[in-house]
Amino acid sequence: MNKYLGNKSALALFLLPALILYSVILIYPVLQTVLRSFYDWDGLSTLTFSGLSNYRELFSDPLLATSLKNGLIFAIVLAVFQIGLGTLLALICADPRTRGRKILKTSYFIPVVLSVTVVCQLWIAIYDPTNGLINRLFDLLNIPYQQNWLSSPTASIIAIAFVNAWQFMGYQFALLYAGVKSVPEDYFEAATIDGCSKWRAHWHVTLPLMRETYKFCFIIAITSGIGAFVQMLIMTNGGPGTTNYTMTFMIYRYAFMESNYGYACAVSVLLVLISLLATVVINKLFDRGQTA
Amino acid sequence: MKKTYRSWSAALLVLTMSIGLVACGEDNSTSSKSEAGDGTIKLKVYAQHFDDDTIKPFDYAVEELKKKMPNVEIELDPAVQDGGQKLKTYAATGNMPDIYLADWSVLQTFAKSKNVEVLDNYDTTAEFKKNLNPGVESRLVAPDNHVYAYPETGIEFQMIYYNKSIFEKVGIKTPLKTIDQMADAAKKLKAAGYVPMSIFAKEKWITTAFYNGLVTREQPHGFGALDQKGVIALPKAFVTAAQQMKQLQRAGLFDANATNTNYDQASSLFYQGKAAMFVNGQWEIYSSQEKLGDQVDWMYWPAKDEATYENSKYFIDGSGSPQGYAVSPSSKNKETAVKVAAFLATKSAEYRYTQLGSPIVSQKVDKPMASNVPAMMQRVVKELLPNAQEYAQLLSNTKIQNTINDNTQNLMVDNFSEQDFVNNLNSTLEKEN
Repeated sequence: MNKYLGNKSALALFLLPALILYSVILIYPVLQTVLRSFYDWDGLSTLTFSGLSNYRELFSDPLLATSLKNGLIFAIVLAVFQIGLGTLLALICADPRTRGRKILKTSYFIPVVLSVTVVCQLWIAIYDPTNGLINRLFDLLNIPYQQNWLSSPTASIIAIAFVNAWQFMGYQFALLYAGVKSVPEDYFEAATIDGCSKWRAHWHVTLPLMRETYKFCFIIAITSGIGAFVQMLIMTNGGPGTTNYTMTFMIYRYAFMESNYGYACAVSVLLVLISLLATVVINKLFDRGQTA
Repeated sequence: MKKTYRSWSAALLVLTMSIGLVACGEDNSTSSKSEAGDGTIKLKVYAQHFDDDTIKPFDYAVEELKKKMPNVEIELDPAVQDGGQKLKTYAATGNMPDIYLADWSVLQTFAKSKNVEVLDNYDTTAEFKKNLNPGVESRLVAPDNHVYAYPETGIEFQMIYYNKSIFEKVGIKTPLKTIDQMADAAKKLKAAGYVPMSIFAKEKWITTAFYNGLVTREQPHGFGALDQKGVIALPKAFVTAAQQMKQLQRAGLFDANATNTNYDQASSLFYQGKAAMFVNGQWEIYSSQEKLGDQVDWMYWPAKDEATYENSKYFIDGSGSPQGYAVSPSSKNKETAVKVAAFLATKSAEYRYTQLGSPIVSQKVDKPMASNVPAMMQRVVKELLPNAQEYAQLLSNTKIQNTINDNTQNLMVDNFSEQDFVNNLNSTLEKEN
C-alpha cells in the first residue's frame, strides 16, 4: 500500500478522473461565468466585450441594495433560528433523561424531507391575511398584530426566511446533535461534579467543544441566506414589486426575464465572492476564538 | 506497475471518449427532419397545445393542412409557458423546430441572434397582409418594420368583468363611469362582505394591464408614449393613473392578499360569487359566460369624470405586439415551412372565428361566425370593435416595462405611495431615454 502511496504518478492517475469531473462540472462553468461577465450578451447572439461595464452598472443598480439587505436578513434569521433552536433541541435530545427522544429526533427532521413547494404552499395558507392561522390566532387572543405577512415590505422577508429556517432546522439539528454526541461525556460529568448546573455545564463545556460543528453550521446558514431563491419565487414571486429580491432572484430576472446574460453573470460572480468572503470571515472568527 | 499504468490509461481513454461521444451525439428524435424518400416533408411545430382554446384551433388547422398540403406531415412539440426558455434552449443548442409560436420578447432576441427567418419578402407574407383585419397591422409588422411571425389572433385587450346580481343586491348603479364611483362601489361591496375586485396580482402583467386601462382614458397610446427618446419624466396621464390606482387601492377595491393571488384563486373568487368584479383579457368571456351565464357582463375602464369616460371609452387597453408562428432559418424545408406557418395561423384564426365566435382574429374570414356567440362577445362585436378609436401602443424597452410591472404591483399594497411610483419610473426613464 505504502508503495503505491509513495508513487506520485500513480496518485495522479487515480486522482485524474475526479479532477476531470470536478473541473468539468464546477471549475469550467465558474470560469465561463467570470469570463462572460465581461461581455454584453443576450444568451444567443455573439458576445461583445464590454470590460467592466456590467460591474459598473451593477454597483449603481438599486436592486443590488435590496438584494443584499434581504440576503443579510435571511441569513440572520436562518442563523438565529436554525442554530439557536437547533442547539437547544440537540441538547434536549442528547439528554438521556428526555422521554421520547427518538420520536422527537424524527419529528424535527420531517420538514427537511418535504418538498419545498408543499412547505411554501402550507405557509402561504398560514400567512393568509384574511383566513390564515396566524392572524386568526392573534384575533382569537385579542392581540392587535394582524399583518399582511407576505405583502408587507418589512415583514415579508422575515416571514419567508422563517419558512426556510423552519423547514431546514432539522438538518442543522442533525449536525448539532452529532456534534453534542461527539463531546466526551466525562467532561460534562466532571463539570457537574464540580457543582455546575446542567445548562452551565453545556455553556462552558459542550458548546465550546463543538466549535468545528458551529463553524460548519454557520457557513451553511449564512451562504444559504445570501443565495436564497426558491421560497421567494414560490411564495411571492419576489414581490410586491422587488421587495423580496435576493441576488439569486436578480440573476433569474436578468438572465431569463431580460435576456441579459452578461449582466446576470456579473451578479453571479459577485454572489460567489460574497459567499466566499462570508466563509472566510466565519473561519477567521472561529479560528481566532480557538487561538485566543 | 507499468502494466497497471497502461490499463488505467486505456480505461480512462475509453471513458473520456465515451463521455465525449454521448455529449456530442445528436438526438435525431428532436432534430429538424428533411424530406423523406416518399416525398413527405416532415415539419416540427412548437405550438401551444394544452387546453380547448389552444388544442382545437391547432388541430383544426393541421387537419385542414392535410387537405391542402398532403405531402406535409406535422410533428407537434407542445409549447410550455416558461417565458420562452425552452425555445431559447433550442436556439442555443442549434436544435430549433421548423415552425414555432413566439411572442415579441422572444422574437426580439431571436432577431438579434438570427434564429428567426425574416418574412418580409415572401409572397406568403404579401398574401397574409392582404387578408389582414383592419387595425391589427401592429400584430404582424414589428416596430422595426420587419415581419417575423404570422399571428392567428388580433389585438387582445383587457376588460373589467362584473357580477350583475351582486351589484343589484348591493344597490350599485352600473356601469361605473368614474374613479370616484368605482371607489364608492368598492367601499359598499366591501361593507357587504364581498371582495370588490378579484385580481391575480401575483402575475405582474395584470396590474400593469389595470394601470394601462386607467392611462388609456387620457392617453390613448398607453405605454407607447414612454418609449420615446427624451421622455425622462412620467407624463401627466401616467401620474394621474397612478394616483387613481392608489385611490382605488385605498378604497379597498383589491383584496388584501392580491399580490399573492394567482389566476385560479382570483377567478374562483369571482365565479363563486365572492368577488363582484374581475379583471382579465377578453379571452375570459367564454369561461365567465359559461360559469356565470347572464349574471356577468363587462364594463369600460372608468375615467376621472363622465365626460372623459364618454370621450375615451373606445380607447382600447391592449397593444398589438408582434406574435405568432415564426420559421427557423435553419429549417431544411424553409420555403414550405413559411407557407405552413401562414396556413396554420390563418386556419387557427378561422376556427376561432367560425367555431368559437371570436372576432379577435388576425385574418378576414369569409365564413359565417358561430351561432352560439356569448352575449358579452356579441357586445364586443357590435359595440366595441366597430367604434374602437385607438389601441394602446407597444412598449419595446424591457427595462421600462419591468419597472412598470414592479411598481404597478407595488401600488396594490400599503406603504407604497403614488409618489414612490412616480420617482421609481422617473429614475428608469432618465436612464433609458
